[in-house]
Amino acid sequence: MPNDALQDSLAEKRWLTALAEGDPSALGGIYELYGERIFRYTFRMLGNRTDAEDATAETFLRVVRRSAELRADGAFRTWLFRIARNLCIDKLRQHKLMELPPDAQYSGAEERTTLRVTVHQALNDLPLEYREPLIYCDLEEMSAKEAADILKISVPALKSRLYRGRRALRDKLGSAMERTP
Amino acid sequence: MNNELYKKLVDLYAGRELPSELDAEMEAAAAEDLVLGREMHTLRSAVDLLHNDAGPEYTEESYQRILMKLYARGAAIQPKAPSPLHLQYHLPIQG
Repeated sequence: MPNDALQDSLAEKRWLTALAEGDPSALGGIYELYGERIFRYTFRMLGNRTDAEDATAETFLRVVRRSAELRADGAFRTWLFRIARNLCIDKLRQHKLMELPPDAQYSGAEERTTLRVTVHQALNDLPLEYREPLIYCDLEEMSAKEAADILKISVPALKSRLYRGRRALRDKLGSAMERTP
Repeated sequence: MNNELYKKLVDLYAGRELPSELDAEMEAAAAEDLVLGREMHTLRSAVDLLHNDAGPEYTEESYQRILMKLYARGAAIQPKAPSPLHLQYHLPIQG
């Protein structure tokens, strides 16, 4: 295990034990460890900052409420992402009803920014069934096993969705990809 | 190796999951078969675009707003970093 990952794993164990013991500082520690990843994930799922911030906060509140279910055995991250995913799916259902447009804040050179917006729009246009494996495996760089665990499907089913999702994204991007800097 | 097998390996090629020898073998096959080559390279470009995506920016403001939402909902959590000046509440100066 790389050193950073080992440190994170030890810190995770320490904070989860503290949370189980009712230590009030534990949530802050867990938020420090996972806040950024959960925010990025929820932003990618929801497409806008305000909803991503709400979903991130709600995810950590649920961690506290469900702390009795916690196990410091390496499955915490899967459990955490599952909570965030359920919240995102609820919000996406609300968006579908209200037709809220996604927003995005990008920085960088104009051509690169245009490409990123194009990629994100193409990704948002994909059915959730394809989008999720791309977010977990290609953007969040999780293993196929971890992504499959979050989605509660088998690894072969995950890979099948991932490969079909990549093709669907490629087809949506079309000519934009040929202008890749 | 025949092209039918190469076509089955395109997904692994795109995700850079093949050993380097097989990767090179597919590149050579792609040079002979333009349809296969286009499929391989466009798919790999799409995957590379995702892998190189830096993601949404996690700003100090977002970090603080999430903490405030947690605090407002009763979580035992306090901002650990000082708030940036522009997020601090300014009292009017008394004369």
